[in-house]
Amino acid sequence: MTQPASPPRPGETLKTSPPDGIASWRTLAARADVRTLSLLGVLAALIVIGGITKPDEFLDTRNLQLVLTQASVIGVVTVGMTFVITSGGIDLSVGAIVALSSVWATTVATQEYGFAGVLFTAVLVGVGCGLVNGLLIAYGAMVPFIATLAMLASARGLALQITDGKTQIVTIDGILKLGERDSYVLGIPPLVLVFAVVTVIGWLILNRTTFGRRTVAVGGNAEAARLAGIDVRRQRLYLYLLSGLCCGIAAFLLIILSGSGQNTNGNLYELDAIAAAIIGGTLLSGGRGTITGSVLGVLIFTTITNIFALNNLQSDVQQIAKGAIIVAAVLVQRRTASTT
Amino acid sequence: MAPEPPLLTMSGITKSFPGVRALDGVDLDVQAGEVHCLLGQNGAGKSTLIKVLAGAHQPDDGTIGWRGAPVTLKSPIAAMRLGIATIYQELDLVEGLSVAENVHLGHEPTSAGFVVRGKAARASTAALLKRLGHPEIDPARLVGELSAAQQQIVSMARALSHDVRLIVMDEPSAALDPDEVDNLFRIVGDLTTEGVAVVYISHRLEEIRRIGDRVTVLKDGRAVAGGLPAKSTPTSEVVALMTGRNVEYVFPDRPSTRPPGEPVLTVQGLSREGEFESLDLDLRPGEIVGLAGLVGSGRSEILETIYGARKPTAGRISVDGRPLRPGSVRAAVRAGLGLAPEERKAQALLMLESVTRNVSVSSMSRFAHGGWIDRRAERGAARAATRELSLRPDNPSVPVRTLSGGNQQKAVLARWLLRGCRVLLLDEPTRGVDVGARAELYAVIRRLADEGLAVLLVSSEVPEVLGLADRVLVLREGRVVHTAPAQELDEHRVLDLVMEGTS
Amino acid sequence: MPEPTRHTSRRGLLFGTAAASAGALLVGCTSNDTKDEKPAANSQPAADDKPGKHVTIGFAGPQADHGWLNAINDNAKSRAKKYSDVTLEITEGSNDTAAQIGQIETLINKKVDVLVVLPADGKALTQVGLQAMRAGIPVINLDRIFNSPQAYRCWIGGDNYGMGLNAGHYIGEKLKDKKDARVIELAGLDNLELTKQRTQGFDAALKNYPNIKKVARQAAEFTVESGQAKMAQLLQAQSKFDALWNHDDDQGVGALRAIKQAGRDDFLMVGGAGALSAFQAIDADNSVLKATVLYPPTMAASAIDLARALGQGKGIGGLAEFEIPASLTLYSAVVDKDNVKQYMATGFK
Repeated sequence: MTQPASPPRPGETLKTSPPDGIASWRTLAARADVRTLSLLGVLAALIVIGGITKPDEFLDTRNLQLVLTQASVIGVVTVGMTFVITSGGIDLSVGAIVALSSVWATTVATQEYGFAGVLFTAVLVGVGCGLVNGLLIAYGAMVPFIATLAMLASARGLALQITDGKTQIVTIDGILKLGERDSYVLGIPPLVLVFAVVTVIGWLILNRTTFGRRTVAVGGNAEAARLAGIDVRRQRLYLYLLSGLCCGIAAFLLIILSGSGQNTNGNLYELDAIAAAIIGGTLLSGGRGTITGSVLGVLIFTTITNIFALNNLQSDVQQIAKGAIIVAAVLVQRRTASTT
Repeated sequence: MAPEPPLLTMSGITKSFPGVRALDGVDLDVQAGEVHCLLGQNGAGKSTLIKVLAGAHQPDDGTIGWRGAPVTLKSPIAAMRLGIATIYQELDLVEGLSVAENVHLGHEPTSAGFVVRGKAARASTAALLKRLGHPEIDPARLVGELSAAQQQIVSMARALSHDVRLIVMDEPSAALDPDEVDNLFRIVGDLTTEGVAVVYISHRLEEIRRIGDRVTVLKDGRAVAGGLPAKSTPTSEVVALMTGRNVEYVFPDRPSTRPPGEPVLTVQGLSREGEFESLDLDLRPGEIVGLAGLVGSGRSEILETIYGARKPTAGRISVDGRPLRPGSVRAAVRAGLGLAPEERKAQALLMLESVTRNVSVSSMSRFAHGGWIDRRAERGAARAATRELSLRPDNPSVPVRTLSGGNQQKAVLARWLLRGCRVLLLDEPTRGVDVGARAELYAVIRRLADEGLAVLLVSSEVPEVLGLADRVLVLREGRVVHTAPAQELDEHRVLDLVMEGTS
Repeated sequence: MPEPTRHTSRRGLLFGTAAASAGALLVGCTSNDTKDEKPAANSQPAADDKPGKHVTIGFAGPQADHGWLNAINDNAKSRAKKYSDVTLEITEGSNDTAAQIGQIETLINKKVDVLVVLPADGKALTQVGLQAMRAGIPVINLDRIFNSPQAYRCWIGGDNYGMGLNAGHYIGEKLKDKKDARVIELAGLDNLELTKQRTQGFDAALKNYPNIKKVARQAAEFTVESGQAKMAQLLQAQSKFDALWNHDDDQGVGALRAIKQAGRDDFLMVGGAGALSAFQAIDADNSVLKATVLYPPTMAASAIDLARALGQGKGIGGLAEFEIPASLTLYSAVVDKDNVKQYMATGFK
């Protein structure tokens, strides 16, 4: 029932002047669009730059496949991170969980159980770490920053212990094949398919389910959520579980992509995922989250890396550009937000 | 008034925000040494006007004159340099700093330009506090450790630490007890005798009568009356100016008979150490019971304990005769309790969200199939609930933060209405709600009761409790000292009861 | 990650320019087994396998979070185990300078006979090296060099510039008959000086081949993940090239993965460091990887030999001097199909 509002009755309301319900609803929708549009604008600008500087290499199906594939692993992590940040939390342990999941799932012992064993282990380790994070935060009343920082340290340490610093090579053909061209479905790499599915499911959960609503409510005002009858602690537990699950899936994708497990995997994923979510429009303080924005944020970063690599620019320049983009995106957002 | 040029003249002040014209040619003049009251409903433009005066907003149009000369207040610092200080309703103190550090924040006494002279700061702070009648506040204490009333004093000391000629006070009495209000008025009186002008904003007409010299009434961004004599203008005229209509009565009629039936909520011997003791209470469907008492008498704590937000140290709570698990909000909500808390913005509302989502947040599972929300059903139900309470604007898609205080409160009530709640706990339901909207809110509450809801009402405004409740429990220091039907009590009697033995 | 600098070789020149592999130097010419034997030299008292005076060696290295560093620890341990007259006091590896200083001070207090130190940061640990030397404990400085020659008795380490040089020459020789040959470089972590040195050496070697042009360079991070990511981009950027030098065999695992995923096999790849997986691939000769340039972790084993010799007051075989040298720069040999079998045992995982 989205029929227009009945005309405002005199003498009653708050805000003076014309904007009654309908108009401000439109501005709200418009504002949401402005945010997404500005990200799409940045992406379009990047595509133009890529197309001008390297028309043959950049505007190429293989390059599109490459960019999307490279975005998949961090993209899946970012979807989980978006939920956590929307709820007013933070998960600094994502990179370490990806590392731990990927090495645990690729030990010789695990590989004996074949494809399913590796997949199952990767996901289970991710969920397990998420469970520990969630229990510490929700029921141990630990600050997310500290709890996940502790998890970061322990998971990295455990990953090192498991591997002894050695690279674990995957020997299961079924897994290796998934990262190669023969497995592309209608030209789409399986990794990208997984990323797309995770994105769509994430979007639906955040925007269409009670779980998503509770996430937003907890992030927007945890006390109000509690007094409205929401089980805030259980919600927090689930959120870190979800982030851990995403890390487990991402670890499996990384195993496919690199054909190996290494304790250095997922290096600084936490910062990349947070940065992508923030420039996407998710509020670091919680209460507002956008999966679409996060995915666009990931694509923007991946595309920048791609354009820089194609133009043979070195990593120092890439890092400077990344920093500048973060600042610019946040400034643009602040401007759109302040026109409220 | 005085023939000399006014201290401050604002004329034709206009300020627009995207989609809203907040101020539309407002005139205001303030004389040195007067208390000039600013009245208006929420959204009438008071906040915007004082922000312009504080240099926090730049007007689109209009002129400001200061002691006869035109000025631009391009920043809060510029305003401060002229001698304009503002004490906002939401205090802007740093809780982790000491009283003295807060008072001197931004203009610390220093040696060599950067070494803070703590001792000097503490000494001058102590002098200011003494002048404000609160020598007991230790300048070295952390502001976070002080009570709300004391924080207000600190905020005032901060204003006075500048060479101030005009102080703007935005609802300074909202968080204060009667004797603290008296002290506030004494301070205001002292300031005006020294020639300082005060712009005083309040919803309480009786306060304005007590200390005000002149009144300017704002409505819809315009000054509908300027410089009325505060003491002699009839209330009905002021209310009419504010609301654009005459309010004939404020409180709805009570039903003639006491509602029959078994109590829906029973509280026996409920205690929380240091807060309240041995509370017994029965609440029947259709009944409004009021808790009257001073700040600190345990009123809010009682509501929150019944609601499960605090854990009782003793006693039992039952709903329909079934005991309620103590200390669990979820159990309480499931049993049919609903709370409209005192701090709406901090405790009830999701300010970034739409009205719909604020209303549906406690009943989401009703519109969800396997966790999947049927948004059409949700919107429809939210709309029905907000319509029933005549929430304005009649469009639940708008963000809840754009609503006035009264309508935000209605959104909270709609939440519990939609949930099908049977016991409504109201903590200061009209805090921050303007006069015109209050009457409507009272009518809504009464109607909900008539429809079978049981209501437990807490308010620091005695007339509100007396006017709205059927039965009143008078609290003093955490204990019920008197219970009586509301008709048998009057304001004097209640004040006597709550203050007896305290002074 | 190893970090010796060029200026080290002011002293190292004596030996470094001789470019003799440390293994060969220590072993002399009587043995064919490069690594595990140590014959006595002529008439001088030289260290040998026969048990001598008992020596306690303290060993402090960084955290083994990378295959190469892990191999350093393994080499040191297994070498020490070989000698009945050597006790190895090995500390928990740490990347934290302060922690490592503490560990070395503990070893000094325990009065070990000789110290072998691979510092997390050579410059920052110079003081503690000096402290040990003043306490009369000779220090073998492994790979990442201290600021002052007074802080060690002997420095032994790899040659990053030489690595690049040899990789460049190997590729140059392979492509010297090809017109307009195109070469790309997958470098290691750009933050490290050693990466710059490797690139400088590589560029210097390629200058000798006017028909070859380096068309692209990207830096990875010594990890499989980054190797895959950067190589995938390089392959997309360069539709045709003739040779690739990858600085590090660990990231090479990822690079090879990216090459396989892109279905490319039209070029020659040379690796770096000497991982077992690289040796195996070279031996199997079924991928683009045809050679790798050593940065041998066996230097840790040699450091133990040197420490034992120091502790027993002996020189080393194959040299005329009574004392062990002050500085040893290892040769970055190129391993290809022809000699890979010989190196297989030294490959690290």
